[in-house]
Amino acid sequence: MIPMVGVISVRHWPRSRSFRLWIPLFLLWILLLPLAILALPIFLVVCLIARVNPLEAMATFWAILSGCRDTHIEINNQDALVLIRIL
Amino acid sequence: MNEHRRQILEMLATGKITADEAERLIAALEKSDSPLSSGGGTSSSAAKPKYLRVLVDSNDSGDPYHGPVKVNIRVPMQLLRAGVRLAGLIPAQAREHVNEALREKGIPFDINQIRPDNLEELVDQLSDLTVDVDVNGNPSEKVKVRVFCE
Repeated sequence: MIPMVGVISVRHWPRSRSFRLWIPLFLLWILLLPLAILALPIFLVVCLIARVNPLEAMATFWAILSGCRDTHIEINNQDALVLIRIL
Repeated sequence: MNEHRRQILEMLATGKITADEAERLIAALEKSDSPLSSGGGTSSSAAKPKYLRVLVDSNDSGDPYHGPVKVNIRVPMQLLRAGVRLAGLIPAQAREHVNEALREKGIPFDINQIRPDNLEELVDQLSDLTVDVDVNGNPSEKVKVRVFCE
């Protein structure tokens, strides 16, 4: 399943300044869907030029998109914490 | 193996062996069973790892402004597998360019060798890898990089 929400969280330790940003990716996918349909012929042409199976390419892109789910990146030092999560 | 156990118990019941001997035999039987079950189970019954975890822990005491840095990255294995599949989609000419660019950077790596089977082999072998890195050749500024699958 493709990721639905992205979370970016930044915290600063000494002043306890922090923010957490929830990015509703599902809205992004809804917005991108018409664009993707419009871009489909161009994608097919590019696949033909590059001699790549378009179905295989689409399956791979879908797998990459689905694979992003549950990614967790956390960078932490004594001043701040940056957390990126894809849910 | 239950048959062996039953034979031991029958020998005990008929008085051919004492209770201590039976206990020792059963213990030996269990010991001989365990490597078989664990070795055979690694490929079939053991759970496949879901994530590749990279932990970077620096005890960088030389930087008074930022201090030690900790990095914790969890990448789903599904994403790595998809990435390997993506490498297979790169056209042959582009692959040559990539290989050339890698060679120029001092990385003698052939991108044609990236296959899903190779990734699975790597994951099987990568139980827990720890690398100590000296920053700028200074042993006091150590960075510990731990890579493992979970």
